[in-house]
Amino acid sequence: MERAGHLPGLSADAVDWRTLTFRRGAETLDVAVPVLGEAQIAELAERVRANARTFLRNRTVAEIAATIDRAVARLLDRDDPWRRKAERLLPLVTGYDAEMVRLGLTGYLKTFRGPELRKFIAEDFANPAVLDDFQPMPKGGFARAFGPELLLHVWAGNVPGLPLWSLISGLLVKAGTVGKLPSAEPLFAGWFAQILAEIDPQLADCIAIVWWKGGDEAAERAWLGRADTVVAYGGNDALEAIRARVPITTGFLPYGHKISFGMVARSALDAGKAGAVARQAAYDVARYDQQGCYSPQTFFVERGGRVSPREFAGYLAHELDALGSKFPRRPLSMGEAGSVASWRNAEETKGFADPSRALLGDPAGSWAVAYTDAADGLSPCGLNRTVTVVAVDRLAEAVPGLAPYRAFLQTVGIAAAPEELFALAGALGAVGVTRLCALGRMTAPEAGWHHDGRFNLLDLVTMTEIEGSAERAADAFAPYTD
Amino acid sequence: MTEARLVEELLAFIAAGEADEEAFNRMALAVFAHQFETNAPYRRFATQRARTLRTVKSWRDVPAVPISAFKDLTLSGRPPEECPHVFMTSGTTKGVRGKSHHPTLAVYDRSMTVNFRRRFMGEHDRLRMGILFPTEQAMPNSSLAHYLALAKSEFGTAESRYFVSDAGLDVDGATAELSRAEATGEPYALLGASFSVVHLMDALAERGRSFALPAGSRILDTGGFKGQSREMAAEEFYDRLSATFGVPRRLCINMYGMTELSTQFYDDGNEACPSVKSGPHWIRSRVINPLTGQEVPRGSVGVLVHHDLAHFNCASAILTEDAGVEVDGGFQLLGRADGADAKGCSMAVEDFLKAARAT
Repeated sequence: MERAGHLPGLSADAVDWRTLTFRRGAETLDVAVPVLGEAQIAELAERVRANARTFLRNRTVAEIAATIDRAVARLLDRDDPWRRKAERLLPLVTGYDAEMVRLGLTGYLKTFRGPELRKFIAEDFANPAVLDDFQPMPKGGFARAFGPELLLHVWAGNVPGLPLWSLISGLLVKAGTVGKLPSAEPLFAGWFAQILAEIDPQLADCIAIVWWKGGDEAAERAWLGRADTVVAYGGNDALEAIRARVPITTGFLPYGHKISFGMVARSALDAGKAGAVARQAAYDVARYDQQGCYSPQTFFVERGGRVSPREFAGYLAHELDALGSKFPRRPLSMGEAGSVASWRNAEETKGFADPSRALLGDPAGSWAVAYTDAADGLSPCGLNRTVTVVAVDRLAEAVPGLAPYRAFLQTVGIAAAPEELFALAGALGAVGVTRLCALGRMTAPEAGWHHDGRFNLLDLVTMTEIEGSAERAADAFAPYTD
Repeated sequence: MTEARLVEELLAFIAAGEADEEAFNRMALAVFAHQFETNAPYRRFATQRARTLRTVKSWRDVPAVPISAFKDLTLSGRPPEECPHVFMTSGTTKGVRGKSHHPTLAVYDRSMTVNFRRRFMGEHDRLRMGILFPTEQAMPNSSLAHYLALAKSEFGTAESRYFVSDAGLDVDGATAELSRAEATGEPYALLGASFSVVHLMDALAERGRSFALPAGSRILDTGGFKGQSREMAAEEFYDRLSATFGVPRRLCINMYGMTELSTQFYDDGNEACPSVKSGPHWIRSRVINPLTGQEVPRGSVGVLVHHDLAHFNCASAILTEDAGVEVDGGFQLLGRADGADAKGCSMAVEDFLKAARAT
C-alpha cells in the first residue's frame, strides 16, 4: 500500500482514504488517496495560505529555486530511495515501459536543475528580483510581482511527473500551493512534496497535495471557492465543468488537450539523412505512447526528395517496429484498443476506395503507419503508436488547412533547412502553433518552455506598482523636507 | 444461389426453431458465398484478409466488417437503387451515416417477429402498446422506427398508439393512457428509445405522477441515451423505471440492436445489471481482441463481433465498437470501446471532431 498526497498539519488517522488499485501483469499496487471533508478542506486551505504568507513571501526566489534544485537532485540520483521508488512504481501505475519511464524521468527532471530554473525565471522576468522586492521601472516608479496566495492546480493524465511543471511554477512565484492528483498517476506530485519536506519543512508546509474523485462537485466547489488562481488540465468538457464552478473573481488558467504533428522537408530526405529523421520521428511517436499533447499524430512529408514520402512511411514503420521491441507499448485498456482498431479499420476501408493509400502495421496491432497521397489535412490518429504520413508537394501547402484547428495546435517537430524552418515557422505561428522543435525532441520541451504559448510564471502574478507620483508626493512628507 | 432461393432458405432456417453448429455453419457459408459473389467492396475486403470461398471453412472464418465501413463502402449485394428499404445510422460525429440496404424486408421482418414474440411478449398474443419513438413515416430510414412499427402492427392491439410526434413527447396522452391501463387492469406495454423513456420519466416526475401498471405489463427500452437525454447508470435507470411505472425490473427488457444487423438481442429483464443478452439461433456472437482479431479467453472483456445470417444482402459478420464479455447464456454489454477513457492530454479523435465542429 502506497499512501499518496501531502497534507501538512493533518494527521493521516484523521483522514478518510480511498484505495486505487493498479495492475500490471501479475503485479498489483494499491494506492491510498485522501478523501477530505469540507471542514478539512477549509482547514488545509487556510493553513497553506497562512504558511505561504509566513514562510514563502519573505524568501527570495533564489532561495526557493535552491531548495527545488536540491529536491530535483535527489530525484536524479539513481541511488536515492525516492528515485528508486519512482523507477519501481511509476511503470506499474502508468503501464509505461520501465526503461522509457527511467529515461523520461531523467530527461525531464534535468530541466528543473538550478541553472535551468534560472532560465525558466529569466524567460518571464527580465529582472527576476521583481519577485522579491520593488524594482525601478523604465516608465518611472517601482513595481513588484506577487503570486497568488493560494494557487490550486487540477492535474490530469498519466505522463509521469507532468504535475511538476505547474507545481514548480507556482513555488517560484511564492504561491501557497494545493495540487489535485491525477487518478491515472497519483504518486509523483506527493513524493515531490515529501522530498521538499525532508529538505526544507517550512517550504513543504506551503504545499498540500490532495485528491478528489473527478466530478465530485462538493469537493471541487470547496477547493475552487478557496483559491485565488486555478490552473486546470484536461479535456474541454472537464475544463468547462471546472470553469463553471470557479468564482468570477478567481483567475482561471485552463490547459486543454492539444494536437501536434511533424513536418519533414525534402532537404531532410536524402538517402543519408532520412533514416535518422525517421528514427527521431518514431521516437516522438513511441514516447509515452502518444499520450502527451506534444506527441505527433500526423507527419507531413514533402515530395521531391531522394526518399519519397511513401518510402519515408516505410522507414517510420521500420523504426516503430524496432522501438516496439526496445520499449514495448504499455498494455491498453479495451477502450484504447478499440480506438486503435477503429482508426486502423477506417484507414483500411479508405484504402479500398483509394489504392494510393496504404496501411503498414504489425499483426499484433502494436503500431501502425497510414500513408496517403491525397491532400489530407491534419487528422488525429488512434493514439498509442499510430500515425499518418501525408505526402505534400510543399510543406507550406499543408498550413492553410490547419487554420480551423487553431485552438488545438501545439507542437510541430520539424526537419528542414534553416530558411525553410523560419519561413514555415512564420506561417505555422500565424495559424496557432506555439512550439517548433527538432524531431526526436517533441516530447521533451526545453526548460522555460512557454506551455501552449503562454507565460508559465507571468500568467500567475499580478504587478503592484508604486507610481512616480506616490514617490514624489512622499517626498513632501519626509522628515527631511524643507 | 439466387437471392430468391437464399431468402427462402433463410426463412426456412428461421422456422426450423434451432440450429446446431453444423447447420449454422452450412447456412453461414452459403450467405458468405452470396455476399462474396454479389458484393464487390465486400469481396475486396475479404480478399485483402485472405478470406475467400476457398479459405473460409467455418462461420468463424468469415471476415467481420467494422461498422465504420458501412459509412465509406456500399455494402449491398443488390445495386442500391434496386433496394426499396435503406436503414441508416443516426447522425454520428463524423456526419456520415452508415447504410444498410434491403432488397426485401421479408427476412428482417420474420427475424424480428419470431424473436420478439419469444423474448418480449411472454404469454400474450397482443398487448396494448405505447410507443415512445416517431413513426415509420416520420423516420423512413430508421430501422428502430420500422422495428417498433412492426411490434405495434403484429403484436399491439388496435388501440396501441404513438406518443412521439413532430410536436414532441405527448406527456398528456401518455399519462391518460397509463392511468387508463391502471384503472382497467389490462396489461400494458411501453416501448421506445431509452432517452425517450428518460424524458417521459422526467416529465412525470415533474408532475409528481407515478403508476402501478397491471400485472403482466412490460417495458422495452433500447439504444441508450446517445446524448439526447442525460446519461443514467443502468441500476438507476431500471430502479426509476420500476418505481415510475410499477413494472418489476424483470419485466423491464432491454433490446440491443443495430442498423447494421437484421436481428435483435434481448435480455430476460434487468433484475441484475449488466443483464445477459442473447439472440436467436440464426445469430452468433464472438468476443475478440480488436487489435489482433483473435477471440479472447472466455470471461475476458473484448469487442463484440456478430454474425447475423438474416443480414444477407450486406455483410452478415460485423465488428462492432461495443465492449462485451461472454457469460453463460449470452454476453454482457459493457459500453463502447472507443477511447473515452484516454489517459493523456493528447487530443483524441472524438474530441477533435467535436471541437472542430464547434469552431
